[in-house]
Amino acid sequence: MVKRLYDIVLLFKEYVVVAFLILTSVFLLTLNDTAQIRVLRSYAIVGVGLMQNAVSFIPNYFDLRRENDVLRRMNLALSDEVSRLREGRLENLRLRQLLLLKERAEHRYVAANILGKNLQLLRNTVTLNVGSDDDVLPNMPIVSESGLVGKIISTTAGYSIGQLLLNKDLRVSAKIQRSRVDGIITWEGGPYLTLQNVARTDDVQPGDLVITSEYSAFFPKGIRIGVVNDAHPLPSSLFQSVHVLPAVDFTELEEIFVMQFQPDSSRIILEQRNR
Amino acid sequence: MLTRRLLPDIILSALVLLLQTTVVEFLAVHTIVPDLVLIWIVVTALRRGQIPATAAGFSMGLVQDLVSGPDGMLGLSALTKTIAGFLAGYFYAENKTPQILGSYRLLLITGIVSLVHNALYFVLFLQGSGIRWTDGILSYGLPSTAYTVAVALIPMLIFARKQVSSP
Repeated sequence: MVKRLYDIVLLFKEYVVVAFLILTSVFLLTLNDTAQIRVLRSYAIVGVGLMQNAVSFIPNYFDLRRENDVLRRMNLALSDEVSRLREGRLENLRLRQLLLLKERAEHRYVAANILGKNLQLLRNTVTLNVGSDDDVLPNMPIVSESGLVGKIISTTAGYSIGQLLLNKDLRVSAKIQRSRVDGIITWEGGPYLTLQNVARTDDVQPGDLVITSEYSAFFPKGIRIGVVNDAHPLPSSLFQSVHVLPAVDFTELEEIFVMQFQPDSSRIILEQRNR
Repeated sequence: MLTRRLLPDIILSALVLLLQTTVVEFLAVHTIVPDLVLIWIVVTALRRGQIPATAAGFSMGLVQDLVSGPDGMLGLSALTKTIAGFLAGYFYAENKTPQILGSYRLLLITGIVSLVHNALYFVLFLQGSGIRWTDGILSYGLPSTAYTVAVALIPMLIFARKQVSSP
């Protein structure tokens, strides 16, 4: 192989020598920084570009593979960016809605993020990143831009635990906004809340809005709870079963507000004494 | 052995370079000067062949570039004289060297090689200068070629005389 190469070089030795010397001369020329060389450089670039263009139809496996790799990485990075932008957009929308809610409100709100969520048991709770240092106290309502979320049940200096509407221990005085029919919102599992203590004869229609009632000791009146999904008379009973679809999507809950609403303690004491 | 054979050529090459860089200036006619180095390269090509002429062209051109200082372009003479030597080497005929050197063919070959050399030189040298290379060749290249061919008469006559005097 080497011998064959040597023979070829020997056969074309004049060309090998002249090519070597021309290349050396051209290299020396490139060391100059004169106007002539700059022009020649530009010609060389144009020439090389034309040549590359002329042979560009020949696919280069390694180039294609590298290009593929680069494109794949770029695709991944862009997908990631798109995902983050979508996330940001949704967060922006949520925050805007929260801000609107805050502007409308007559109560003070403490913005909070949910640090932990437990939505699998019958006593569903969330952990919030605000606590007594933020003037968050037990029994304060938790709301989102969509409606009532639950209430605070315990606090530490920096954290608090919120009891969700989807918790069988939470009961909320509520009413049908249209017909002013009163009832008690409870949850017994499943996707719907139940409006209890509604008489068979009360006017309840699917689509009716359910809000907190003025009879509630812990929640101010008028907070949206949900929408009536269906109402059926209970067999052998004077009441009807009203299923309410919660206004809040608890699975997507992230940013919330703690409403700094303090129940009237004297009223609570009085009510408890007469029960 | 090789060095001993090459030594006279090397000394003569140095002498030609010395003449080109010192004496030739005094022979200038309206800034046009003969190219003694080129004549020597042609003579080398006709006496020694293509590779020695190419190597001589490169090395002598490089020396010219180095002594031309900041006004010159390093590598330009080396390039043009390398190509001149290579081109001149095509006229090498081992058995007819004395006849070619001592005849008008030396002038013809010198003329062709000088023309190519000057054309290449001015095409490169005048880039970006605003002077068209055709003007450069007409104003400097052709007169320089004519002057070089005229000076090449001297070696031609010397070789012709040697040829006559040798049995």
